[in-house]
Amino acid sequence: MIVIVSGVPRSGTSLAMQMLDAGGLPVLSDGLRAADTDNPRGYYEWERTKGLAQQPNIIAEAEGRAVKVISSLLLALPQGHDYRVILMLRPLDEVLASQTVMLRNRGTGGPPLAPAAMLAALQAHLAQVNAWLRGRLDLAVFRMSFHDLLADPPGQAERMTRFVGLPLDVEAMARQVDASLHHQRSRAVEDRA
Amino acid sequence: MPQPLAKKVLLIGWDAADWKVAAPLMDQGLMPTLDDLVSHGVMGSLATLRPILSPMLWNSIATGMRADKHGIHGFMEPDTHTGGVRPVTSTSRKVKAIWNILTQKGYKTHVLGWFAGHPAEPVNGISVSDLYPYAQAPLDKPWPLPPGAVYPESLRDTFAELRMHPGEVTEAAILPWIPKAAEIDQEKDKGLASFAKILAENLSIHNAATWILSIQPWDFMAVYYNGIDHFCHGFMHLHPPRMEGIPEDKFEIYKDVVNNAYRFHDMCLRTLLQLAGPEATVILVSDHGFHSDHLRPRGIPNEPAGPAVQHRQFGLIAMRGPNIKGDERIYGATLLDVSPTILTLFGLPVGEDMDGRVLVQAFNEAPEVTRIPSWEQVPGECGMHPADLRMDPAAAQAVLQQFVALGYIQPPNENQQKAVEVAVREAKYNLARVYLDSRRPRQALPLLEEIVKGSDEARFRQHLAQCHYMLGQRAEAKRILEDLIANPPKPPKPPEPAAAEDQTAGAAVVKPPHGQDGRATWHGLPAREGDEDSASPVRTVTEAPARQAQAEIARAASATPWAEWLMGVIHFEEGNTDEALACLLRAEQADPRLPNLHLRIGETYLRRRQVDDAERAFRRALEIDGDSAEAHLGLAQVHLRQRQDQDAAEESLIAVGLQHFLPLGHYSLGVALARLGHPHRATVAFETAVSMLPGLVNGHRWLAALQARPGGDLEKADAHRKLAAELMKRRREQVKAVASAK
Repeated sequence: MIVIVSGVPRSGTSLAMQMLDAGGLPVLSDGLRAADTDNPRGYYEWERTKGLAQQPNIIAEAEGRAVKVISSLLLALPQGHDYRVILMLRPLDEVLASQTVMLRNRGTGGPPLAPAAMLAALQAHLAQVNAWLRGRLDLAVFRMSFHDLLADPPGQAERMTRFVGLPLDVEAMARQVDASLHHQRSRAVEDRA
Repeated sequence: MPQPLAKKVLLIGWDAADWKVAAPLMDQGLMPTLDDLVSHGVMGSLATLRPILSPMLWNSIATGMRADKHGIHGFMEPDTHTGGVRPVTSTSRKVKAIWNILTQKGYKTHVLGWFAGHPAEPVNGISVSDLYPYAQAPLDKPWPLPPGAVYPESLRDTFAELRMHPGEVTEAAILPWIPKAAEIDQEKDKGLASFAKILAENLSIHNAATWILSIQPWDFMAVYYNGIDHFCHGFMHLHPPRMEGIPEDKFEIYKDVVNNAYRFHDMCLRTLLQLAGPEATVILVSDHGFHSDHLRPRGIPNEPAGPAVQHRQFGLIAMRGPNIKGDERIYGATLLDVSPTILTLFGLPVGEDMDGRVLVQAFNEAPEVTRIPSWEQVPGECGMHPADLRMDPAAAQAVLQQFVALGYIQPPNENQQKAVEVAVREAKYNLARVYLDSRRPRQALPLLEEIVKGSDEARFRQHLAQCHYMLGQRAEAKRILEDLIANPPKPPKPPEPAAAEDQTAGAAVVKPPHGQDGRATWHGLPAREGDEDSASPVRTVTEAPARQAQAEIARAASATPWAEWLMGVIHFEEGNTDEALACLLRAEQADPRLPNLHLRIGETYLRRRQVDDAERAFRRALEIDGDSAEAHLGLAQVHLRQRQDQDAAEESLIAVGLQHFLPLGHYSLGVALARLGHPHRATVAFETAVSMLPGLVNGHRWLAALQARPGGDLEKADAHRKLAAELMKRRREQVKAVASAK
């Protein structure tokens, strides 16, 4: 089994990875992308997933572990594995605001489209990903609301554990959210500003 | 609702099929099935649309709409999944295809291999995508179907088994096509590998089609074969008569491939017709023709979709079935008419937003044609992909860029980036050309201006000049044309020696989707290297010797003849026939095959009263396109000047037969008939002419004169005289207004 944590960038994927790690599930991450002001607790990324579209079979290296795969790369997942996909959902206006801040921090300029058009493009993208997921009957999907997670960390950690089907440490998972809570809430306020 | 006129409809697509090749084979008894089909049905030329690019055209056939409405704008589109490009997909089509409408109405509907058909759509039947037949691995390795190639998924394994791998094409299959195959040095000549690949792909589609027709219930089936197009791109330069520069030994080996491709399709057609049964209505169409004679280009422009220069503007149509006329010709059909005609066959209304019309002349009795505003407004399950699977490629590209900038996705490599830029630009360019082709220059202008800002390629500037001309902005058009003529674009970089001197037959095979050229192997031959890296979906290398090919390529890509042609047209319209003729003759010297060039030369000679020269020009135009209504009209006008009225009447009749809406054709016919002493028939012709072109002053004058004859209608004569006078008065006022504005 491979646990995939996915979502559009800035939807809480790093937090979900953090929780699974704390819960005792091995995670596939190389630490190459260091923590920064946008993600002070780290990105939990495996650099090679960025090339998943070109080399889909590398996903086999995540067998028995959790790995972060960004939403657009989900479509590259090859058949032949038992996947459990945790799809993080966060209001897209918040996501876009957070992405814009992150782009500014990275010095890579702003979004390629005006805000309204970019928001529409992200909505269309997510709709496309969801439609694709519905067509992949070999994927089990758990859609986790970022706000629900912030509001009820133990409850959501419990649901996540049941979905994964492994005996994870729910309390430790929930504590990750508590620790992040202040930062995430203040980010949400900042993003909206 | 009108009664259906067909129980079942089988729509067969033969990409690039052309009567110019098929008709002689039928005459020799070598295409008996097609011969039988047209003997018991109707046949005609099918006018294509510009740009002549197959994905756009086949989707116009399937929707009855031009590409600006159906949304398929070229071969490739950005792929957010890989960061590169992919063949255009069914999720990019914005409107219902005929199989979606029929699915919605509950008909059992199958579609196979249609261009831009991947992923397969969830129709009320079976859908097999255009990626289905491509072998992606050698025969001794697994070659699974790509996901989404077959709907329903439960039939995936069945259809996978029906495919044929190029490696399974044996000598027994090859020798009837290429009897001298044993003489081929397969280390140097990859012609057999190309041949095997095309044959296997088309047999895979044919196997799937015959399986469905044999086993499954059906009301409608659309099946598309790319074989003729691919065989022609690969082997037409080796088709008789032998072209200059083609080695004789090579010619002898491959000279029958194109004819045999047609005969192979005829055999496939026989099986389809047998399985379909006599009660089925069969429609055979092609999206365009393919130059097979002295008009074969000797070089291919070095630009995306450059091999389209080999395409001819007329494809074919043949129809047979209950309620369809037998052994008749139909005229004036375009590929936009196919879907409206199928709807009428099923007794269904035609969408008013469809650009085509019903081919009523094909029916024994004029069918009742009903209409609705649009099928897009009709709710219900229609077998299209869910709306959320469809995404505007530009928006998809923006999302990809954003994720790359955020560091979550690997940036596309330089080649991918370039391919995406080219795909986006070509889609805009193709859309602009759709607008120009449908006389909507105002919509084309912003697209072309944007493209020209980013690239100074001559073809973009040419079309911008054409756009200004169509908008009446002659000064702006002339400025661009003068620049193109004074500073002709540099010829494209000559091919590398190895490629230029490539003596390979079949080297011009259209690259299959996803850069997977099937890795065709026969006797262990590898596929051509490098094809998958091309930004263009097609590559062609002619067999002409390198230097000659280079010169031809440069000429084919040159903007100068075209610029001279348009400059000549503008001078002609400004009344400057000396300048016009000089420009047009320079264009002729540089490229005598330019479309419409000889018509314009003929018109200019006519205005200069050089009748013999005009006749020569119109006859040259007919050599290029024997179905040109305008060329026959030109000859009619020549004969009228020569006082050869019988010939003038005959040429006029041919012209209006080819294109009924041709007011000057009816006018010329009227003049010839009046002179030949047939006043009543002449009156009918003139009345038809002025009904189509009410401002035709001379038409009203002739009618006034004819009605004033004994036995005529004096009131009508008076009305036409007054109309002619009024029109002349208005014309003088307009001229005065223009002069004072200047």
